[in-house]
Amino acid sequence: MRNGRQVVVAGAGKTPFGAFADKDLRTLAVAAGNKALENARTSPDAIQAFYLGNFAGPEFTSQNHLAPFISTALGMKGIPSTRFEAACASSGSAFFHAYHAISAEIYDVAMVLGVEKMTCQPTARVTEILAGAGDTTSEVLVGSTFPSLFAMIARRHMHDFGTTREHLAAVAVKNHENGALNPDAQMRKVITLEQALNARPIAEPLGLYDCSLISDGAAAVVLCAADRAREFIDKPVKVLGAAQASNYLALDQKDDITTFPALRAAAEEAYEMAGVTAKNIEFAEVHDCFTIAEIVAIEDLGFVPRGQGGFFSFEGGTRRTGAMPINASGGLKSKGHPVGATGVAQICDVVQQIRCEGGERQLKRHSLGLAQNLGGSGGTCVVTILGRD
Amino acid sequence: MRTGSIYTETVVHLAPERFAADVPYQVAIIDLDQGGRITARIEGERVLIGDHVTEARAEGDISYFRKS
Repeated sequence: MRNGRQVVVAGAGKTPFGAFADKDLRTLAVAAGNKALENARTSPDAIQAFYLGNFAGPEFTSQNHLAPFISTALGMKGIPSTRFEAACASSGSAFFHAYHAISAEIYDVAMVLGVEKMTCQPTARVTEILAGAGDTTSEVLVGSTFPSLFAMIARRHMHDFGTTREHLAAVAVKNHENGALNPDAQMRKVITLEQALNARPIAEPLGLYDCSLISDGAAAVVLCAADRAREFIDKPVKVLGAAQASNYLALDQKDDITTFPALRAAAEEAYEMAGVTAKNIEFAEVHDCFTIAEIVAIEDLGFVPRGQGGFFSFEGGTRRTGAMPINASGGLKSKGHPVGATGVAQICDVVQQIRCEGGERQLKRHSLGLAQNLGGSGGTCVVTILGRD
Repeated sequence: MRTGSIYTETVVHLAPERFAADVPYQVAIIDLDQGGRITARIEGERVLIGDHVTEARAEGDISYFRKS
């Protein structure tokens, strides 16, 4: 892909993630959007286009036509407002498209906002809605759930590379260790390896602590052309690479389910745009919808050799003090996973580290970070690289 | 009757409403001897990767395989 003009993040804002019975979808979205506007020291009038990431608002809340429903509530009037849906990569995809519109000089300033309101439905119904991210004409018809798809990936990864349940559990323990320090995280508690291993099974070999949470929440960023950044913020964060790729939804259509080809393709393109390699990346927020997904992600991103993700995680390589800190925010596992909000939330977390606003979770090396957002069991992947000069 | 070997499998404990009565149930991706791969249910004895299976029956959209 051709590199256009430089784009920067001028403002970022998130709601806490959790179960909020008193806050509906629009209330959450507006709260995050206003935080991002405030952070960019600007007003709704400055926004020229609104990009919404949302997976299943109509199924969860019965409200459709969501983008103008939210942008008008934020005080934006007359601008193009569009919803992007790519399962759990919905707001990563919205970000990718907003980035490219500014890069291509179509707009100077845009807002990307991700939101999901999930806890208004019982767990069995949530499971049903999430299963819609898989292929409903094959795998879902026979009873595959979203966790079961990742469970089958885990089983094969264990078989092919010697990954163990302890390796998976180590990912959960580490992400809870980080999330416990995150004031906006949904499950701020430290867990032990034994707790993770002994949790009730969801889809074998995955137990409760191998799975991310059912959450409500929203996240937003204001993107702008670099030459206008000073109007908004003193220390903008540059978007150095932004790529999206796709692949089959159904696992049984893939030759090898222990890798995500869309992730590899998006990563390769994002690295090339940014002029960096995996070795240059100092930290990352990756899509740990399940513990095995984090292990596969760090392999596909090139942080560790194929098959070594579990061993590297178990040995502490992904902790905040490790060689490659992963999910210092707590990840989807502890921070929460309001599906449509996750992609932009990851970008907010990377921006926070780059700006040195990570509080107790602040990493030592924080000038070049990566966010990786996965849709379904690999049908979409978005990789974004952010940094300072 | 279709036959094949298990490429990967899982046992589902938390299911959507329409399959809630079936839990726990085993789902597998099967490399068919005839070529191709399908996702199907396993009935009877639990299977592991590499096990050989034979199609036992089909009910609606769901194919059920058993250990050969």
